[in-house]
Parts: sequence; C-alpha cells; structure tokens
Amino acid sequence: MTKTESVTTMILPLSFKGQHIMSAHLHAVGLKKAYRKGRSLEVPVLHGVDFTIEAGEMVAIVGASGSGKSTLLHLLGLLDGPDQGHIYLNGERIDQLPDKKRDYLRNTAFGFVFQSYHLMPELTALENVMMPQLIRLSPWQWFSQKTQLKREAASWLERVGLGHRGKHKPSELSGGEMQRTAIARALAGNPQIILADEPTGNLDAESGESVMKLLRDLNRERGMTMIVVTHDLSVARQADRIVRLNQGLVESFNPGVAA
Amino acid sequence: MYKYLLCWRYLKTRYIALASVISVMLGVATMIVVNSVMAGFAHTMRDRLHGILADVVVESYDLDGFWDWRDVQSIIQKECGDLVEATAPTMETFGLLKIYLPDGQAVTRQVMVIGIRPEDRAKTGDFSEFVQDENGKLIKPGFDVPKNWQTNSPAGHLLKDTPKDDPLHDILRQQAGEQVPDRGAIVGYALATIHRPGALTDDFIAPAGSRIGLAFPKSGRKPEAAYDDYTVVGFFKSGMSEYDSMHVYVPLERLQYMRMLGDGLGAGAVNQIQVQVKPGVNINEVASRLQRVLDSRRPLYFRVATWEQKQGPLLEAVKIEQFILNVLLFLIIAVAGFGILAIFSMIVVEKTRDIGVLKALGASTGGVRGIFLSYGLALSIVGCGAGMIEGLLIVHYLNDIENLINSLTGTRVFNPDIYYFSEIPTLVEPWTVAGIVLGAIAIAVTASVWPAQRASRLHPVQALRFE
Repeated sequence: MTKTESVTTMILPLSFKGQHIMSAHLHAVGLKKAYRKGRSLEVPVLHGVDFTIEAGEMVAIVGASGSGKSTLLHLLGLLDGPDQGHIYLNGERIDQLPDKKRDYLRNTAFGFVFQSYHLMPELTALENVMMPQLIRLSPWQWFSQKTQLKREAASWLERVGLGHRGKHKPSELSGGEMQRTAIARALAGNPQIILADEPTGNLDAESGESVMKLLRDLNRERGMTMIVVTHDLSVARQADRIVRLNQGLVESFNPGVAA
Repeated sequence: MYKYLLCWRYLKTRYIALASVISVMLGVATMIVVNSVMAGFAHTMRDRLHGILADVVVESYDLDGFWDWRDVQSIIQKECGDLVEATAPTMETFGLLKIYLPDGQAVTRQVMVIGIRPEDRAKTGDFSEFVQDENGKLIKPGFDVPKNWQTNSPAGHLLKDTPKDDPLHDILRQQAGEQVPDRGAIVGYALATIHRPGALTDDFIAPAGSRIGLAFPKSGRKPEAAYDDYTVVGFFKSGMSEYDSMHVYVPLERLQYMRMLGDGLGAGAVNQIQVQVKPGVNINEVASRLQRVLDSRRPLYFRVATWEQKQGPLLEAVKIEQFILNVLLFLIIAVAGFGILAIFSMIVVEKTRDIGVLKALGASTGGVRGIFLSYGLALSIVGCGAGMIEGLLIVHYLNDIENLINSLTGTRVFNPDIYYFSEIPTLVEPWTVAGIVLGAIAIAVTASVWPAQRASRLHPVQALRFE
C-alpha cells in the first residue's frame, strides 16, 4: 500500500443508510487566511473560522461579496492552504499533507462545481465527465478499464439528464447543460464531498432551479455531503443548514428550509 | 492518461502551435539537404582524391629520389606482402609546361611532372579511370604515339613525297620527329583546355597530337633545368581542378634519363612508390609498419603517408566547413526554438483556467508539466518528421529541382564545368539525419520546458480566478 493510499483509506470507510456511499465528516478549526497584494499590502479574508459539516449533510455558505465564502471553500477543498487553523476529514488532519497527497485527495475525496463550469473546451461532455478517472489512472489502467469507465461516465451524464449529449463539445451546450455536465464530472470521481462555488451564479432562474434540484436529489439519494457557496438566499434555503460569513467570521448558523 | 489525451487534442486543435514548428521543419529540411549535398561533394571528392593517389605513398624527402627502389619494393613485399595488392614506382617533380599554339605563340604554365609506368600506375588507384581522349572517352593509359601522327605532320606530308635518296629526306624525317615527338605525355585536362565563361564546350590549346615542351630540374649540385619535347596522347581528367590543372604524366624512364637519374633503359631513381593495399586492410597500420622498417634501414630519408594524410589539409578544411555550416544551421533551429517558447507561453496563458481546473480535479504538478512537455515533444516530432520527409524528398529530386529552376530562370544554378560533376552529388547519411532530427527534437522540447514549468507551478486558486 502506498503512502497516498494509506491516507485515503483512513478517511474513506463510510456508509449511508446501509449502502456504500461517498460521504464524509469535514471539520475546520480557527481558519485564517490573508491575501498578499504587492510587497506589503496584506488583505485578511478569514479571521478564524470554525466550521463543521456532518456526513450526508448539505450546507450553504452565504455572505456578501468579499466575505470569504469562496476562500473558505478553497481551503476546505485543499485548493489553498490556511495561514492558521486546521482542517480534518473524518478525523484526520489534511491541511498539512504534502502536495501529492493533497492532489490525491482532491481527485478522490472532493468533487468541485464552479460558477463558470470550467469544462475543457477541447473535450466532449463524456470526456469531461471522465476527467477525474483519467487523472487517477495510468494509461495501462485506463485501457484495461476503458469500457467500464465510459459506461459509468455515460450513466452519470444520464443521471443529470444529458445522456444524449455525451459527444457534444462544451461550446455546443447551454449554460444549464454545461453546469450539469460539471456536476456529472464532480460525481464521476466518486467523491465524499461535493464543493459547489456559486453553482447557479451564471444560470437563469429555471436552469438554476434545475441544477439545485439535482444537487439536492443527489444529497438525499446518496447521502452525499455537500457544501454550496452562494449569495442567493433562495438557493441557500434548499440546504440543510446555512452558514453566514461576515467579514471573514462565521456570523450565524441558520437551519435551511429543507432541514 | 489525461496528459496524452489533452496533448493529442491540443495537437489537433491548436494550429498556431503547429505553425510554430514550421520553422523547425524548414530548419531540419535545410540541414538535411545541406549535409547531404556537402556529404555528396565530400564523398565524391574523397573518391577522386583516393583515385589519384594510391592507398599508401612511400616517398623520399629528397626530390632526386632513391636508386634502390627495387630493394624498397622488396622490403614492402617482405613486411606487408600479404596486405599489399600492387606497387608502382613514380618520379614526381615540379616543372614548366610550354604549349605551342598554331599561331607561333607559346603558353607557359607551372606543372607537376610525374614519370610513371602506365601499367603499374593503373594497378594502384583509379588512374586508368581518369585518362581520356579529346571527346571525353576513356582510353587505355599509355605513352605510345600513333605512327600516322608523324606522317600527318607538315614535315611528314612532305616526307611521303620525298624519295629516300633525296638529301631532304633525312632532314624532313628529323623535322617530322620534332613536330610530333615519339614520346607521349598525358596532360591535365585543365592545362590543355581553356574554358570560356558561358561556352558549352572547352577549347583545346593542346589537342591530341600537338607538341608540348617540359622543363624540369636536373639532378646535380647546381640547379639546372632539363628540357624535353612530348606529344600529347591523352588527357587526365579527375574532376579535381588542383590535379587537372597541374599534372603532366610522362614515361618514367624518359624522365629519369632527362633528369640524369637513370640510363633510360630501366635503371634509375624514383622518389615515390605508390602502394595499393588489399580491400579491408587498415592503411594506417600498413603505413606505420612501413615507416618503422624503412626508418630502420635509412633514418629520416623516407616519408610514408596514407592518401588521407597527404590530403589532410583539404579533407580537414571540408570537415571544418561542414561543422561551421551545421553550427549556423542549428542556430536557425535554436531561433525556431524561441518561437516555440513564445507560442507555448501564450498557450499556457490561454489555458490558465484549464490548468486550474485540472489541479482542482487532482492533477499533480508533474502531470500538468507533463501535458506541455508531451505537447512540445509531439509538436517537435511532427515538425521534425515533416522536415525530414521534406529534406529527403528535396535531396532525392535535387537535380530535377535544379533543372526546373534552370528552365524557369534561364540560368544554370549548378554549372558542371565549374565542379566537374554532371549533376549535384548527394549522399544521405542515416546517422547524420538521425542526429539532425534528434537535435531538433531536443531543442524544441527544451523550448517547451520553461512554459511547462510555468504551467505546473500555477496556483490552482489563482489559475481558476484568472481572467
């Protein structure tokens, strides 16, 4: 067993309602983060955030622009490191892991959904969905499992209602379709936690509603832990819990409408 | 796996990057063409040089040579008999050539007078392949003057109608012998002809059957010149102007006699023994063995050299020329490498957000670096492969291309009269082509290292936020 595998197996033994699911408990303590602009200007963003999300829970993080919502999401998803504070996944500290293990966790434990979808324009929808697996596997592993992985990716596209769009490039998809493809991509890596940064931010009301319903359904069906950053309260209300950030501090924990 | 998929997709969709390797392609093609032509020239030149000289030459430092050359031949046979195919004694000395023109004028030229035995000399090197008549047809090397040349001379014509008991008969016979001496000489083609710019054929100033005079040093304490007349019986055309404009071959025994170094009947001195070794024999080893044994016989008298050593400066000059040209052409590919660097840097900027997404999805720093390095490698393989095919095609059809340019422009790009080649010689050396292609690939990949490194070091959050 490699070191990377040993870290992952420590934080992956999870089940939900009797079935094997990908869900996890994420806990952050005293997170502080500041951005440096130029040589001397330091802009503090997070001032010591404590945050906990239980396995299978859906939490919305809301707050005004510049309140640190996205920064918190990036720290929780290991896209960035905190200046101070600790992050635990299933009880294991993950914020100080070396780069290789962080890469591995981002690939296996977290699924990201971005406001601007961030699909690869050169790849088809199906290939975009397969990307986490493509990153994970060596060419040899890929060729030996190709058929099965393609089938799985196609089923994820089917699940988000885009089974017929697999061969289409992102430029041939609508905004809502692109975001659903991005969600399918996040799900295809079988992550424990979905981290969504303004998933409806670029969508019209109808598409936004459809995307949020999809995330909510996935959370309920599979018990998938979800953190959704939004400034739209109607979106936030669909979460189990709402965390409000104000000037880099957690101001309040409010139960969402669905709770 | 994602590295190769993305690399393949970038290759198929980023035409600007493909454009960046056009310069690499052209550089590779140019290098292959230039190297093939230079190798062709060098190879042909080496062939001709080797054809003129035997594999190994034993010579004395003294221009008057050595009388005991038969003993030296025996030593050569004894020391390297199993390695040697043939030997030929020769006498080489500088001299002056007088060409007598029909209008009474005379042209004087500096020459190298070489006394040979044609049969022996033909066995050492390709001498017999360079002796031709006025029409360019190869003839058997020899110094016999056809009998009818004397009878066809002005004095010979008169002699035909003069009875033998006429007092003029002996005078006319003597004059016929003076007008067409019975001693033949093979004259360098460039000595015997004049090439006028633009003319299709060369004008003979010393055609076959004409009389020439040779002056050369006699042996003795005081420097003194000997003079002798010969009839031109053939022309030496090797394709090397250095030789074709200098060499005059005469009978060995006659030269020995005139230089007071022989009795004219076979006994005499030579200053060179040409040694032809058997195929596959190491000529350097033969040369050093002979040098050793001859030194022990007479120290500091003989110089034994291979044909390559004798032509060392010329062959070295060609090598240096080829090396400098290669350095310059590789610099062109290096410049192309900077083009790749610039375009790759642009692509990295364009792909910043994609790099951020890949990192968010778990791609490692090495993986992202690998995408751009693989991309650089793939592009360079495409560029170098295309350049190699283009270069080889140009080399293959080089003479057709030259003919086409000639017909389009009305001028001769490659003048065979200057180079003595009927067509542009080319030689494709596989190792040279492989070296050029691998070198160009290395340059192109090196040019993509910095952009790839830059891409791999992008911070995922900054990359995702890049506008």
